[in-house]
Amino acid sequence: MWTRLSDLDRMIHAMDLFQNRMNRLHPEYARLRAVPAWDIAQGGPKTNLCDAGDHLEMRVEVPGVAKDDLSVKVQGNYLEISGSRKSDAPEGYTAHRVERAVKTFTRSFTLPADVDTGKVEAQMANGLLTLTLPKLEAAKPKQITIS
Amino acid sequence: MSKTTDLTRKEESLPERSREIAAVAPLVDIYENDDEILLHVDMPGVDKKDIAVNIDNGQLVLGGLRKVETTGAAQWEEFGDVEFQRTFSVPQTIDIEKVGAELKDGVLRLHLPKSEAARPRQIEIKAA
Repeated sequence: MWTRLSDLDRMIHAMDLFQNRMNRLHPEYARLRAVPAWDIAQGGPKTNLCDAGDHLEMRVEVPGVAKDDLSVKVQGNYLEISGSRKSDAPEGYTAHRVERAVKTFTRSFTLPADVDTGKVEAQMANGLLTLTLPKLEAAKPKQITIS
Repeated sequence: MSKTTDLTRKEESLPERSREIAAVAPLVDIYENDDEILLHVDMPGVDKKDIAVNIDNGQLVLGGLRKVETTGAAQWEEFGDVEFQRTFSVPQTIDIEKVGAELKDGVLRLHLPKSEAARPRQIEIKAA
């Protein structure tokens, strides 16, 4: 009757095999993975920063982090994102595999321009935090007319 | 890691699809109790409609496509367009009809209920 445990063992083994095979097929995968990258498990989430002229836009990868567990601080051109990812392990279940880290993280950035701190907007969607950081008037690009 | 390419090799005729999207295995937690197997899968930035869960012949294939929006000039990019992809072997005792999935904060929770026959039963011991 208890064939399920061995089924699961097989499943986990198959997953490892799959990953190894993928690593072999595409060596750049293993290489990419070897580079220490930002990650919640490493103490800081991955981010993208775009400069859209009059504002900066930052996207942060925060899967499984609730809105209330995140805090964003801005001062001048300094930005700090901190938060915690809490365990979402269900009650009464046995864990067979736990890869998703439970972690408190802080990451700070020096932005390329001073930010109008009063107008910063933050939005969460599908585990991505999007920050819209309007530049201070003095930091905005200006069109120069040639006389 | 694999690169997603069209099986039918349509790249020549559809130049906009020629850019390959990296496939990445998402991080997964696997839990089990008497009634079901539960998977928690990190899929940040994937929309509900871009997630595909297929169970066929003892194989569970999870897929999720993420398109990252960009506005303006990139200063740095630590993540990009990605196809989350992972395959598991699942026991045949899963009740495929009752599989349920929910997506919250970029985490997919996949419930795989065990069929009635596969659940453990308490056996009563009768006195001789």
